Amino acid sequence: MKIQSNDEHDFRHIYEKTFAMLFRVSNNIVRNPDRAEELCQEAFTRFFDQGKSFPSENDAKYWLIRVTKNLSINVVKRKSRELKMIEKVKKEPNRHEKTGEEVLVEDAICEQVMDAIEQLPEKLRLVITLKTYTDLDYKGIGETLNISESNVKVRVFRARKMLEKILSQE
Amino acid sequence: MCLDDALLNSYLDGELQEPWKTQVEEHLSYCSGCQLRFNQLKGLVDNLKNATISDEEIAPRSDRVLKYFEQNRFDTPPKKNLFKKKVQVNLVPALLTSAAAVVVVFIGSFVLFGSNSKQTSEIMPEVMLPIESNQLEQVSVDEKASLDDYSLSEIVRYLDSQGYAVKLELKTVNPLEDIPQNEE
Repeated sequence: MKIQSNDEHDFRHIYEKTFAMLFRVSNNIVRNPDRAEELCQEAFTRFFDQGKSFPSENDAKYWLIRVTKNLSINVVKRKSRELKMIEKVKKEPNRHEKTGEEVLVEDAICEQVMDAIEQLPEKLRLVITLKTYTDLDYKGIGETLNISESNVKVRVFRARKMLEKILSQE
Repeated sequence: MCLDDALLNSYLDGELQEPWKTQVEEHLSYCSGCQLRFNQLKGLVDNLKNATISDEEIAPRSDRVLKYFEQNRFDTPPKKNLFKKKVQVNLVPALLTSAAAVVVVFIGSFVLFGSNSKQTSEIMPEVMLPIESNQLEQVSVDEKASLDDYSLSEIVRYLDSQGYAVKLELKTVNPLEDIPQNEE
């Protein structure tokens, strides 16, 4: 199915299918839901305004993931220190707003895992983020990141090995 | 021979092709060591997958961003109609007024500055203006002859030629000096 990015019908179709995964990818990179929402909006704005024509749904999806990922990485790189300070301030009241011990424990595990992913080298982090939070297969990840399928396979394997190590230490 | 992590990862991700897939499944069915390792890896993958925001938390954000596009990018029907109506209401009288103004100025320019028929025919070739008197050339005159058109001597000569005896009598109150004398 051909996708015209500034066609309302096509846009809605792609939006519905990809927003959640784009949001997760961005949020796992920037670690800030509000910022991730802004970045997703920015990615979709570029998608719409550039009036691109994609030969297939997958091509549109790869493009959006690539743009969201790049925008998110840029934000992290530009404001890495500043951002962490803001997040700490923002996160504290949020965490206490939630009630129930279970939620707290779940959140703690979630934080732990996200921290572990953050410790990975960028190459591995991106591959494992796309593998975990999108529905892309090795081939799709390869096309999105411009690397070979076998390279994706190796990076997924290495990333999981490192994560196991990091998580077992904590 | 047992399965290594690379193979198990590929199997876990559904990326293993046949016949390897069936062979791995077969091996896992009886090898408890590999089963344990597989479950460890699966646990890790599930943990990673759960370490993210839930669909319920994403939904309002998704709605909010979509609303932004509905308001700023899509041409939603009610918005379009309102716009059209406004234009229709404002544009029609404005057009009529300006059209009338153009006509008035056009006619006024002829009234004020005048024009000759050449100019007029250049500007408005379809329109005929009334012919002006100074541009008329008389070709013929169709008038009944009257006695006033002839001189006295001509009348007398004519009557004479017809055999009439003419007797002219002049009666004046105050005698005039230069009156032609025509006497037989």
